[in-house]
Amino acid sequence: MTTAHHPGPDTPPLIPLHCLRHVEPGPPRQAALPTGTAVWLVTRHADVRQVLADPRLNRASLYAADAPRLMVTPNILDDPASLLNSDGPEHQRIRRTVQRAFTPRAIERWRPWVSSVVDELVADLVAAGPPVDAVAALTRQLPVAVISRLMALEGLDHERLAHWSDHALSATAYSAEEIAGAMREFGAFGHQLVVERRKNPGDDLVSSLVQAADQTGGVTEEQLTSLVCGLVVAGHETTMTTLGNALVYLLDEDRAAWRRIGADPEAASAATEQLLREIPLGDREVLPGLLRRAVEDVEIGGVLIPAGAVVAADAVSANHDPLVYPEGTPDLFAPLGTPSLTFGAGPHHCLGAWLARMELELGLHKLARRLPGLRLALPVEEIEWRQGLLTRSPQRLEVSW
Amino acid sequence: MTAAGPGAGGEVRVEVDRIRCVGTGLCAATAPDALELGADGRARALRAIAADSEELTEAAEMCPVEAISVRSAATGEQVAPRW
Ligand code: HEM
Ligand code: SF4
Repeated sequence: MTTAHHPGPDTPPLIPLHCLRHVEPGPPRQAALPTGTAVWLVTRHADVRQVLADPRLNRASLYAADAPRLMVTPNILDDPASLLNSDGPEHQRIRRTVQRAFTPRAIERWRPWVSSVVDELVADLVAAGPPVDAVAALTRQLPVAVISRLMALEGLDHERLAHWSDHALSATAYSAEEIAGAMREFGAFGHQLVVERRKNPGDDLVSSLVQAADQTGGVTEEQLTSLVCGLVVAGHETTMTTLGNALVYLLDEDRAAWRRIGADPEAASAATEQLLREIPLGDREVLPGLLRRAVEDVEIGGVLIPAGAVVAADAVSANHDPLVYPEGTPDLFAPLGTPSLTFGAGPHHCLGAWLARMELELGLHKLARRLPGLRLALPVEEIEWRQGLLTRSPQRLEVSW
Repeated sequence: MTAAGPGAGGEVRVEVDRIRCVGTGLCAATAPDALELGADGRARALRAIAADSEELTEAAEMCPVEAISVRSAATGEQVAPRW
Protein backbone atom coordinates (compact mmCIF):
# COMPACT_ATOMS: atom_id res chain seq x y z
CA MET A 1 0.00 0.00 0.00
CA THR A 2 1.04 3.57 -0.39
CA THR A 3 2.49 5.46 2.51
CA ALA A 4 -0.62 7.08 3.92
CA HIS A 5 -0.08 10.42 5.55
CA HIS A 6 -1.16 10.36 9.18
CA PRO A 7 -1.25 13.87 10.48
CA GLY A 8 0.43 14.00 13.87
CA PRO A 9 1.68 16.69 16.22
CA ASP A 10 4.97 17.15 14.30
CA THR A 11 3.75 16.90 10.71
CA PRO A 12 1.64 19.77 9.42
CA PRO A 13 -1.51 18.48 7.69
CA LEU A 14 -1.43 18.38 3.89
CA ILE A 15 -3.83 20.81 2.34
CA PRO A 16 -6.47 19.67 -0.17
CA LEU A 17 -5.41 19.84 -3.81
CA HIS A 18 -7.76 22.68 -4.69
CA CYS A 19 -6.10 24.87 -2.02
CA LEU A 20 -2.62 24.51 -3.54
CA ARG A 21 -1.21 27.66 -5.07
CA HIS A 22 -0.55 27.44 -8.77
CA VAL A 23 2.26 29.19 -10.62
CA GLU A 24 1.14 32.55 -12.01
CA PRO A 25 0.86 32.16 -15.79
CA GLY A 26 3.64 34.02 -17.58
CA PRO A 27 6.44 33.52 -20.07
CA PRO A 28 8.35 30.21 -20.10
CA ARG A 29 10.80 30.10 -17.19
CA GLN A 30 13.50 27.74 -16.00
CA ALA A 31 12.76 25.19 -13.31
CA ALA A 32 13.95 21.73 -12.28
CA LEU A 33 12.50 18.25 -11.91
CA PRO A 34 13.00 16.33 -8.64
CA THR A 35 15.96 14.61 -10.37
CA GLY A 36 17.63 18.00 -10.79
CA THR A 37 17.08 17.95 -14.55
CA ALA A 38 16.53 21.48 -15.88
CA VAL A 39 13.17 22.08 -17.56
CA TRP A 40 11.40 24.97 -19.23
CA LEU A 41 8.20 25.51 -17.31
CA VAL A 42 5.39 26.65 -19.60
CA THR A 43 2.31 28.09 -17.89
CA ARG A 44 0.09 30.21 -20.17
CA HIS A 45 -2.94 28.53 -21.72
CA ALA A 46 -1.91 29.28 -25.30
CA ASP A 47 1.70 28.22 -24.65
CA VAL A 48 0.74 24.94 -22.94
CA ARG A 49 -1.56 24.14 -25.82
CA GLN A 50 1.22 24.86 -28.29
CA VAL A 51 3.74 22.68 -26.44
CA LEU A 52 1.30 19.77 -26.47
CA ALA A 53 0.23 20.15 -30.11
CA ASP A 54 3.49 21.20 -31.83
CA PRO A 55 5.28 18.26 -33.51
CA ARG A 56 8.65 19.93 -32.82
CA LEU A 57 8.16 18.80 -29.24
CA ASN A 58 7.46 15.15 -28.53
CA ARG A 59 7.46 12.32 -26.01
CA ALA A 60 9.68 9.66 -27.63
CA SER A 61 12.79 11.86 -27.48
CA LEU A 62 12.37 12.06 -23.68
CA TYR A 63 13.65 8.47 -23.71
CA ALA A 64 16.41 8.79 -26.30
CA ALA A 65 19.88 7.64 -25.28
CA ASP A 66 21.03 11.24 -24.68
CA ALA A 67 17.97 12.24 -22.65
CA PRO A 68 18.41 13.55 -19.09
CA ARG A 69 16.95 11.75 -16.10
CA LEU A 70 13.24 12.47 -15.62
CA MET A 71 12.22 10.35 -12.66
CA VAL A 72 14.06 9.32 -9.51
CA THR A 73 12.43 5.91 -9.91
CA PRO A 74 11.01 5.15 -13.39
CA ASN A 75 7.39 4.00 -13.51
CA ILE A 76 4.78 3.07 -16.12
CA LEU A 77 4.94 6.52 -17.74
CA ASP A 78 8.53 5.75 -18.70
CA ASP A 79 7.69 2.66 -20.76
CA PRO A 80 9.04 3.37 -24.28
CA ALA A 81 6.51 0.98 -25.87
CA SER A 82 3.51 2.90 -24.54
CA LEU A 83 1.01 4.91 -26.54
CA LEU A 84 2.04 8.00 -24.59
CA ASN A 85 5.71 7.59 -25.50
CA SER A 86 5.15 7.01 -29.22
CA ASP A 87 4.89 9.84 -31.71
CA GLY A 88 3.91 10.51 -35.30
CA PRO A 89 2.68 7.70 -37.55
CA GLU A 90 3.63 5.04 -35.02
CA HIS A 91 1.51 6.72 -32.35
CA GLN A 92 -1.40 7.02 -34.80
CA ARG A 93 -1.15 3.33 -35.61
CA ILE A 94 -1.52 2.35 -31.97
CA ARG A 95 -4.13 4.98 -31.15
CA ARG A 96 -6.37 3.99 -34.05
CA THR A 97 -6.80 0.51 -32.58
CA VAL A 98 -8.76 2.05 -29.68
CA GLN A 99 -9.85 5.55 -30.70
CA ARG A 100 -13.27 4.56 -32.01
CA ALA A 101 -14.28 2.97 -28.72
CA PHE A 102 -13.72 6.30 -26.94
CA THR A 103 -15.47 8.88 -29.12
CA PRO A 104 -18.21 10.87 -27.36
CA ARG A 105 -20.93 8.82 -29.02
CA ALA A 106 -19.32 5.47 -28.37
CA ILE A 107 -19.01 6.40 -24.69
CA GLU A 108 -22.57 7.74 -24.54
CA ARG A 109 -23.84 4.24 -25.27
CA TRP A 110 -22.44 3.14 -21.91
CA ARG A 111 -24.45 5.74 -19.98
CA PRO A 112 -27.39 3.52 -18.94
CA TRP A 113 -25.02 0.87 -17.68
CA VAL A 114 -22.67 3.27 -15.84
CA SER A 115 -25.77 4.88 -14.38
CA SER A 116 -26.98 1.57 -12.98
CA VAL A 117 -23.56 0.83 -11.46
CA VAL A 118 -23.61 4.21 -9.70
CA ASP A 119 -27.15 3.54 -8.42
CA GLU A 120 -26.05 0.25 -6.90
CA LEU A 121 -22.92 1.70 -5.29
CA VAL A 122 -24.84 4.64 -3.84
CA ALA A 123 -27.56 2.32 -2.48
CA ASP A 124 -24.90 0.13 -0.82
CA LEU A 125 -23.17 3.20 0.60
CA VAL A 126 -26.42 4.45 2.12
CA ALA A 127 -27.18 1.03 3.56
CA ALA A 128 -23.71 0.74 5.13
CA GLY A 129 -23.62 4.06 6.96
CA PRO A 130 -23.32 6.61 8.32
CA PRO A 131 -20.38 7.04 8.68
CA VAL A 132 -18.95 5.49 5.52
CA ASP A 133 -15.58 5.63 3.76
CA ALA A 134 -16.58 7.18 0.41
CA VAL A 135 -13.33 6.05 -1.22
CA ALA A 136 -13.91 2.36 -0.53
CA ALA A 137 -17.64 2.64 -1.22
CA LEU A 138 -17.65 4.78 -4.36
CA THR A 139 -14.67 6.72 -5.66
CA ARG A 140 -12.46 3.64 -6.06
CA GLN A 141 -15.25 1.17 -6.85
CA LEU A 142 -16.87 3.07 -9.69
CA PRO A 143 -13.87 3.56 -12.02
CA VAL A 144 -12.64 0.02 -11.31
CA ALA A 145 -16.07 -1.45 -12.10
CA VAL A 146 -16.30 0.55 -15.32
CA ILE A 147 -12.89 -0.25 -16.75
CA SER A 148 -13.24 -3.90 -15.67
CA ARG A 149 -16.47 -4.19 -17.58
CA LEU A 150 -15.11 -2.44 -20.68
CA MET A 151 -12.08 -4.70 -20.77
CA ALA A 152 -13.90 -7.80 -19.43
CA LEU A 153 -11.68 -8.14 -16.37
CA GLU A 154 -14.50 -9.01 -13.99
CA GLY A 155 -12.54 -11.74 -12.23
CA LEU A 156 -9.58 -9.49 -11.46
CA ASP A 157 -8.70 -9.21 -7.77
CA HIS A 158 -9.07 -5.57 -6.74
CA GLU A 159 -6.16 -5.71 -4.35
CA ARG A 160 -3.84 -6.91 -7.06
CA LEU A 161 -5.08 -4.15 -9.30
CA ALA A 162 -4.50 -1.51 -6.59
CA HIS A 163 -1.01 -2.93 -5.99
CA TRP A 164 -0.08 -2.68 -9.67
CA SER A 165 -1.56 0.73 -10.16
CA ASP A 166 0.07 2.23 -7.04
CA HIS A 167 3.44 0.97 -8.29
CA ALA A 168 2.69 2.07 -11.85
CA LEU A 169 2.28 5.69 -10.77
CA SER A 170 4.74 5.70 -7.87
CA ALA A 171 6.98 8.72 -7.45
CA THR A 172 8.64 8.03 -4.09
CA ALA A 173 6.39 5.42 -2.46
CA TYR A 174 8.41 2.43 -3.68
CA SER A 175 11.98 1.53 -4.60
CA ALA A 176 13.04 1.12 -8.23
CA GLU A 177 13.24 -2.66 -7.67
CA GLU A 178 9.75 -2.84 -6.20
CA ILE A 179 8.34 -0.89 -9.12
CA ALA A 180 10.20 -2.95 -11.71
CA GLY A 181 9.01 -6.18 -10.06
CA ALA A 182 5.37 -5.09 -9.96
CA MET A 183 5.55 -3.86 -13.57
CA ARG A 184 6.99 -7.20 -14.75
CA GLU A 185 4.09 -9.00 -13.12
CA PHE A 186 1.57 -6.50 -14.51
CA GLY A 187 3.14 -6.80 -17.98
CA ALA A 188 2.85 -10.58 -17.87
CA PHE A 189 -0.82 -10.20 -16.93
CA GLY A 190 -1.37 -7.77 -19.81
CA HIS A 191 0.37 -9.99 -22.31
CA GLN A 192 -1.61 -13.02 -21.24
CA LEU A 193 -4.80 -11.03 -21.82
CA VAL A 194 -3.66 -10.13 -25.34
CA VAL A 195 -2.88 -13.76 -26.15
CA GLU A 196 -6.12 -15.06 -24.63
CA ARG A 197 -8.41 -12.56 -26.34
CA ARG A 198 -6.70 -13.15 -29.66
CA LYS A 199 -7.55 -16.84 -29.31
CA ASN A 200 -11.05 -16.36 -27.89
CA PRO A 201 -12.27 -12.91 -28.85
CA GLY A 202 -15.29 -11.45 -27.08
CA ASP A 203 -17.00 -8.09 -27.49
CA ASP A 204 -14.70 -6.34 -25.02
CA LEU A 205 -12.15 -3.58 -25.62
CA VAL A 206 -9.09 -5.86 -25.41
CA SER A 207 -10.46 -8.22 -28.05
CA SER A 208 -11.34 -5.34 -30.35
CA LEU A 209 -7.97 -3.63 -30.05
CA VAL A 210 -6.10 -6.88 -30.66
CA GLN A 211 -8.26 -7.51 -33.75
CA ALA A 212 -7.76 -3.97 -35.03
CA ALA A 213 -4.01 -4.23 -34.53
CA ASP A 214 -3.76 -7.64 -36.17
CA GLN A 215 -5.80 -6.46 -39.14
CA THR A 216 -3.85 -3.30 -39.87
CA GLY A 217 -0.45 -4.61 -38.77
CA GLY A 218 2.52 -2.59 -37.66
CA VAL A 219 1.74 -2.67 -33.94
CA THR A 220 4.16 -4.82 -31.96
CA GLU A 221 3.16 -7.30 -29.28
CA GLU A 222 4.99 -5.16 -26.76
CA GLN A 223 3.03 -2.08 -27.76
CA LEU A 224 -0.25 -3.99 -27.48
CA THR A 225 0.65 -5.27 -24.03
CA SER A 226 1.68 -1.82 -22.93
CA LEU A 227 -1.58 -0.37 -24.25
CA VAL A 228 -3.65 -2.92 -22.33
CA CYS A 229 -1.77 -2.23 -19.08
CA GLY A 230 -1.95 1.51 -19.70
CA LEU A 231 -5.71 1.33 -20.17
CA VAL A 232 -6.17 -0.60 -16.95
CA VAL A 233 -4.24 1.99 -14.92
CA ALA A 234 -5.24 5.19 -16.75
CA GLY A 235 -8.79 3.90 -16.90
CA HIS A 236 -9.34 4.08 -13.17
CA GLU A 237 -6.59 5.82 -11.19
CA THR A 238 -7.04 9.41 -12.40
CA THR A 239 -10.83 9.17 -12.32
CA MET A 240 -10.72 7.86 -8.75
CA THR A 241 -8.35 10.70 -7.83
CA THR A 242 -10.55 13.37 -9.37
CA LEU A 243 -13.76 11.99 -7.85
CA GLY A 244 -12.21 11.84 -4.36
CA ASN A 245 -10.76 15.34 -4.59
CA ALA A 246 -14.02 16.70 -6.01
CA LEU A 247 -15.86 15.35 -2.96
CA VAL A 248 -13.36 17.06 -0.65
CA TYR A 249 -13.90 20.32 -2.53
CA LEU A 250 -17.69 20.16 -2.59
CA LEU A 251 -18.29 18.86 0.93
CA ASP A 252 -15.80 21.28 2.45
CA GLU A 253 -16.18 24.43 0.38
CA ASP A 254 -19.41 24.52 -1.47
CA ARG A 255 -22.42 22.81 0.12
CA ALA A 256 -24.88 24.87 -1.93
CA ALA A 257 -23.25 23.59 -5.11
CA TRP A 258 -23.55 20.05 -3.75
CA ARG A 259 -27.32 20.35 -3.46
CA ARG A 260 -27.63 21.86 -6.91
CA ILE A 261 -25.52 19.07 -8.43
CA GLY A 262 -27.96 16.59 -6.89
CA ALA A 263 -31.03 18.45 -8.09
CA ASP A 264 -30.03 18.93 -11.71
CA PRO A 265 -28.09 16.56 -14.00
CA GLU A 266 -27.15 19.44 -16.33
CA ALA A 267 -25.70 21.32 -13.38
CA ALA A 268 -23.69 18.19 -12.51
CA SER A 269 -22.30 18.13 -16.02
CA ALA A 270 -21.24 21.81 -15.96
CA ALA A 271 -19.74 21.41 -12.48
CA THR A 272 -17.74 18.37 -13.63
CA GLU A 273 -15.97 20.49 -16.27
CA GLN A 274 -15.25 23.26 -13.78
CA LEU A 275 -14.04 20.84 -11.09
CA LEU A 276 -11.75 19.14 -13.63
CA ARG A 277 -10.32 22.56 -14.45
CA GLU A 278 -10.05 23.74 -10.86
CA ILE A 279 -8.57 20.78 -8.96
CA PRO A 280 -5.04 19.56 -9.73
CA LEU A 281 -4.38 15.81 -9.91
CA GLY A 282 -1.26 15.97 -7.81
CA ASP A 283 1.46 18.08 -6.23
CA ARG A 284 3.64 20.19 -8.50
CA GLU A 285 6.76 19.32 -6.52
CA VAL A 286 6.33 15.74 -7.75
CA LEU A 287 5.68 16.61 -11.39
CA PRO A 288 5.53 20.24 -12.53
CA GLY A 289 3.71 19.50 -15.78
CA LEU A 290 3.19 17.24 -18.79
CA LEU A 291 6.68 16.55 -20.14
CA ARG A 292 7.91 16.94 -23.70
CA ARG A 293 11.34 17.41 -25.32
CA ALA A 294 12.18 19.76 -28.16
CA VAL A 295 13.49 17.89 -31.20
CA GLU A 296 14.47 21.19 -32.85
CA ASP A 297 14.69 24.82 -31.79
CA VAL A 298 11.20 26.14 -31.16
CA GLU A 299 9.83 29.46 -29.99
CA ILE A 300 7.20 29.25 -27.26
CA GLY A 301 5.58 32.39 -25.89
CA GLY A 302 8.41 34.55 -27.22
CA VAL A 303 11.18 32.40 -25.71
CA LEU A 304 13.54 30.25 -27.77
CA ILE A 305 13.55 26.68 -26.47
CA PRO A 306 16.66 24.98 -27.84
CA ALA A 307 16.63 21.50 -29.40
CA GLY A 308 17.11 18.86 -26.74
CA ALA A 309 15.57 20.90 -23.90
CA VAL A 310 12.91 19.32 -21.69
CA VAL A 311 9.66 21.24 -21.32
CA ALA A 312 7.04 20.87 -18.57
CA ALA A 313 3.60 22.01 -19.76
CA ASP A 314 1.81 23.09 -16.58
CA ALA A 315 -1.88 22.49 -17.27
CA VAL A 316 -2.81 23.46 -13.70
CA SER A 317 -1.42 26.94 -14.15
CA ALA A 318 -2.84 27.22 -17.68
CA ASN A 319 -6.25 26.25 -16.34
CA HIS A 320 -6.11 29.42 -14.22
CA ASP A 321 -4.84 31.73 -16.95
CA PRO A 322 -6.71 35.03 -16.41
CA LEU A 323 -6.63 35.66 -20.17
CA VAL A 324 -8.93 32.66 -20.61
CA TYR A 325 -10.89 32.07 -17.39
CA PRO A 326 -12.38 34.41 -14.78
CA GLU A 327 -10.20 34.84 -11.68
CA GLY A 328 -11.11 33.80 -8.16
CA THR A 329 -13.44 31.11 -6.86
CA PRO A 330 -15.01 29.47 -9.90
CA ASP A 331 -18.72 29.53 -10.62
CA LEU A 332 -19.16 25.77 -10.93
CA PHE A 333 -22.24 26.15 -13.08
CA ALA A 334 -20.86 28.55 -15.68
CA PRO A 335 -19.99 27.04 -19.06
CA LEU A 336 -16.24 26.66 -19.50
CA GLY A 337 -15.99 28.27 -22.94
CA THR A 338 -12.43 27.34 -23.89
CA PRO A 339 -11.74 23.66 -23.07
CA SER A 340 -9.48 23.21 -20.05
CA LEU A 341 -6.11 21.50 -20.44
CA THR A 342 -6.78 18.89 -17.76
CA PHE A 343 -6.99 16.20 -20.44
CA GLY A 344 -4.03 17.64 -22.34
CA ALA A 345 -4.12 18.59 -26.03
CA GLY A 346 -2.52 17.50 -29.27
CA PRO A 347 -1.89 13.91 -30.33
CA HIS A 348 -1.80 12.59 -26.76
CA HIS A 349 -5.04 14.27 -25.67
CA CYS A 350 -6.58 11.90 -23.14
CA LEU A 351 -8.20 8.90 -24.79
CA GLY A 352 -10.58 8.38 -21.88
CA ALA A 353 -11.76 11.97 -21.40
CA TRP A 354 -15.43 11.27 -22.19
CA LEU A 355 -15.52 8.16 -20.10
CA ALA A 356 -14.00 10.02 -17.15
CA ARG A 357 -16.46 12.91 -17.55
CA MET A 358 -19.41 10.54 -17.58
CA GLU A 359 -18.29 8.70 -14.45
CA LEU A 360 -17.66 11.94 -12.57
CA GLU A 361 -20.91 13.53 -13.62
CA LEU A 362 -23.06 10.51 -12.77
CA GLY A 363 -21.17 9.73 -9.57
CA LEU A 364 -21.52 13.26 -8.20
CA HIS A 365 -25.10 13.77 -9.34
CA LYS A 366 -26.48 10.53 -7.97
CA LEU A 367 -24.67 10.72 -4.65
CA ALA A 368 -25.79 14.32 -4.13
CA ARG A 369 -29.36 13.51 -5.14
CA ARG A 370 -29.60 10.63 -2.68
CA LEU A 371 -27.69 12.43 0.12
CA PRO A 372 -28.10 16.22 -0.22
CA GLY A 373 -27.00 16.59 3.41
CA LEU A 374 -23.74 14.64 2.92
CA ARG A 375 -20.78 16.07 4.90
CA LEU A 376 -17.23 15.18 5.85
CA ALA A 377 -17.24 13.24 9.11
CA LEU A 378 -13.76 14.53 10.02
CA PRO A 379 -12.18 17.94 9.56
CA VAL A 380 -10.25 18.41 6.31
CA GLU A 381 -6.98 18.61 8.28
CA GLU A 382 -7.44 14.98 9.34
CA ILE A 383 -7.80 13.53 5.86
CA GLU A 384 -5.42 10.64 5.23
CA TRP A 385 -3.85 11.14 1.79
CA ARG A 386 -2.42 8.63 -0.67
CA GLN A 387 1.15 9.83 -0.92
CA GLY A 388 4.35 9.23 -2.84
CA LEU A 389 2.44 8.86 -6.10
CA LEU A 390 2.16 11.13 -9.13
CA THR A 391 -1.43 11.82 -8.13
CA ARG A 392 -2.75 12.68 -4.66
CA SER A 393 -6.23 11.90 -3.34
CA PRO A 394 -7.79 10.76 -0.08
CA GLN A 395 -6.81 7.28 1.08
CA ARG A 396 -10.05 7.22 3.07
CA LEU A 397 -12.79 9.81 3.20
CA GLU A 398 -15.19 9.41 6.12
CA VAL A 399 -18.54 10.94 5.26
CA SER A 400 -21.74 11.23 7.24
CA TRP A 401 -25.30 12.51 6.78
CA MET B 1 -27.21 4.81 -46.97
CA THR B 2 -28.30 7.90 -48.88
CA ALA B 3 -26.80 9.16 -52.13
CA ALA B 4 -24.61 11.50 -50.09
CA GLY B 5 -23.43 8.62 -47.88
CA PRO B 6 -19.80 7.73 -47.22
CA GLY B 7 -17.77 7.06 -50.30
CA ALA B 8 -20.61 7.97 -52.61
CA GLY B 9 -18.51 10.62 -54.30
CA GLY B 10 -21.02 13.43 -53.65
CA GLU B 11 -19.87 16.91 -52.76
CA VAL B 12 -19.71 17.74 -49.09
CA ARG B 13 -19.12 20.78 -46.93
CA VAL B 14 -16.45 20.13 -44.29
CA GLU B 15 -16.35 22.25 -41.16
CA VAL B 16 -14.11 22.17 -38.11
CA ASP B 17 -15.23 23.74 -34.85
CA ARG B 18 -11.94 25.39 -34.01
CA ILE B 19 -12.89 26.09 -30.40
CA ARG B 20 -13.65 22.45 -29.67
CA CYS B 21 -10.66 21.12 -31.63
CA VAL B 22 -7.88 19.92 -29.30
CA GLY B 23 -5.33 19.49 -32.07
CA THR B 24 -4.82 15.72 -32.03
CA GLY B 25 -4.07 15.66 -35.76
CA LEU B 26 -5.96 12.36 -36.05
CA CYS B 27 -8.21 13.81 -38.76
CA ALA B 28 -5.38 15.17 -40.89
CA ALA B 29 -3.62 11.81 -40.71
CA THR B 30 -6.80 10.01 -41.71
CA ALA B 31 -7.97 12.32 -44.52
CA PRO B 32 -4.90 14.31 -45.61
CA ASP B 33 -6.62 15.34 -48.85
CA ALA B 34 -9.35 17.17 -46.97
CA LEU B 35 -8.01 18.26 -43.59
CA GLU B 36 -4.80 19.65 -42.21
CA LEU B 37 -3.47 20.64 -38.82
CA GLY B 38 -2.70 24.36 -38.86
CA ALA B 39 0.37 25.95 -37.33
CA ASP B 40 -1.88 27.08 -34.46
CA GLY B 41 -2.48 23.44 -33.50
CA ARG B 42 -6.06 23.41 -34.78
CA ALA B 43 -7.42 21.48 -37.73
CA ARG B 44 -8.97 23.11 -40.76
CA ALA B 45 -10.60 21.98 -43.96
CA LEU B 46 -8.33 22.40 -46.98
CA ARG B 47 -11.37 23.37 -49.05
CA ALA B 48 -14.88 24.26 -47.88
CA ILE B 49 -16.38 21.91 -50.46
CA ALA B 50 -14.77 18.51 -51.00
CA ALA B 51 -15.56 15.23 -52.65
CA ASP B 52 -17.00 12.83 -50.10
CA SER B 53 -14.77 9.90 -49.22
CA GLU B 54 -14.44 7.02 -46.79
CA GLU B 55 -11.46 8.79 -45.26
CA LEU B 56 -13.44 11.92 -44.55
CA THR B 57 -16.20 9.95 -42.85
CA GLU B 58 -13.63 8.10 -40.81
CA ALA B 59 -11.89 11.33 -39.82
CA ALA B 60 -15.16 12.86 -38.63
CA GLU B 61 -16.08 9.72 -36.69
CA MET B 62 -12.64 9.37 -35.14
CA CYS B 63 -12.34 12.95 -33.84
CA PRO B 64 -12.19 12.68 -30.05
CA VAL B 65 -14.23 15.83 -29.51
CA GLU B 66 -16.58 15.63 -32.53
CA ALA B 67 -15.29 18.91 -33.87
CA ILE B 68 -15.72 17.91 -37.51
CA SER B 69 -18.95 17.95 -39.43
CA VAL B 70 -19.39 16.68 -42.96
CA ARG B 71 -22.63 17.76 -44.64
CA SER B 72 -24.03 17.22 -48.08
CA ALA B 73 -23.27 20.37 -50.10
CA ALA B 74 -26.59 20.02 -51.88
CA THR B 75 -29.00 19.35 -48.99
CA GLY B 76 -27.08 20.34 -45.86
CA GLU B 77 -27.85 16.92 -44.37
CA GLN B 78 -25.16 15.67 -41.99
CA VAL B 79 -23.23 12.82 -43.57
CA ALA B 80 -20.68 12.28 -40.79
CA PRO B 81 -20.27 11.70 -37.96
CA ARG B 82 -23.37 9.57 -37.96
CA TRP B 83 -24.17 6.44 -36.08
C1 HEM C 1 -10.21 12.50 -14.68
C2 HEM C 1 -9.63 11.53 -15.30
C3 HEM C 1 -8.49 11.66 -16.27
C4 HEM C 1 -7.57 12.66 -16.42
C5 HEM C 1 -7.46 13.96 -15.64
C6 HEM C 1 -6.68 12.26 -17.50
C7 HEM C 1 -5.64 13.04 -17.98
C8 HEM C 1 -4.84 12.71 -19.06
C9 HEM C 1 -3.82 13.57 -19.63
C10 HEM C 1 -3.44 14.96 -19.13
C11 HEM C 1 -3.26 12.91 -20.67
C12 HEM C 1 -2.14 13.44 -21.59
C13 HEM C 1 -0.78 13.23 -21.03
C14 HEM C 1 0.28 13.96 -21.81
O1 HEM C 1 -0.01 14.56 -22.85
O2 HEM C 1 1.45 13.97 -21.38
C15 HEM C 1 -3.90 11.62 -20.76
C16 HEM C 1 -3.58 10.65 -21.68
C17 HEM C 1 -4.17 9.41 -21.71
N1 HEM C 1 -5.28 9.00 -20.97
FE1 HEM C 1 -6.25 10.06 -19.55
N2 HEM C 1 -7.06 11.04 -17.97
C18 HEM C 1 -8.17 10.63 -17.26
C19 HEM C 1 -8.90 9.46 -17.43
C20 HEM C 1 -8.60 8.49 -18.36
C21 HEM C 1 -9.38 7.30 -18.60
C22 HEM C 1 -10.70 6.96 -17.92
C23 HEM C 1 -8.71 6.58 -19.56
C24 HEM C 1 -9.01 5.25 -20.22
C25 HEM C 1 -10.05 4.59 -20.27
C26 HEM C 1 -7.53 7.33 -19.94
C27 HEM C 1 -6.60 6.92 -20.86
C28 HEM C 1 -5.57 7.70 -21.34
C29 HEM C 1 -4.62 7.25 -22.34
C30 HEM C 1 -4.57 5.89 -22.99
C31 HEM C 1 -3.74 8.34 -22.58
C32 HEM C 1 -2.56 8.39 -23.57
C33 HEM C 1 -3.07 8.91 -24.87
C34 HEM C 1 -1.98 9.04 -25.94
O3 HEM C 1 -0.79 9.08 -25.62
O4 HEM C 1 -2.35 9.07 -27.12
N3 HEM C 1 -7.51 8.48 -19.19
N4 HEM C 1 -4.88 11.53 -19.77
S1 SF4 D 1 -9.41 14.99 -34.93
FE1 SF4 D 1 -10.74 16.57 -34.05
S2 SF4 D 1 -9.59 17.37 -32.31
FE2 SF4 D 1 -8.15 16.23 -33.56
S3 SF4 D 1 -7.23 17.80 -34.88
FE3 SF4 D 1 -8.95 16.91 -36.01
S4 SF4 D 1 -10.67 18.23 -35.51
FE4 SF4 D 1 -9.10 18.69 -34.03
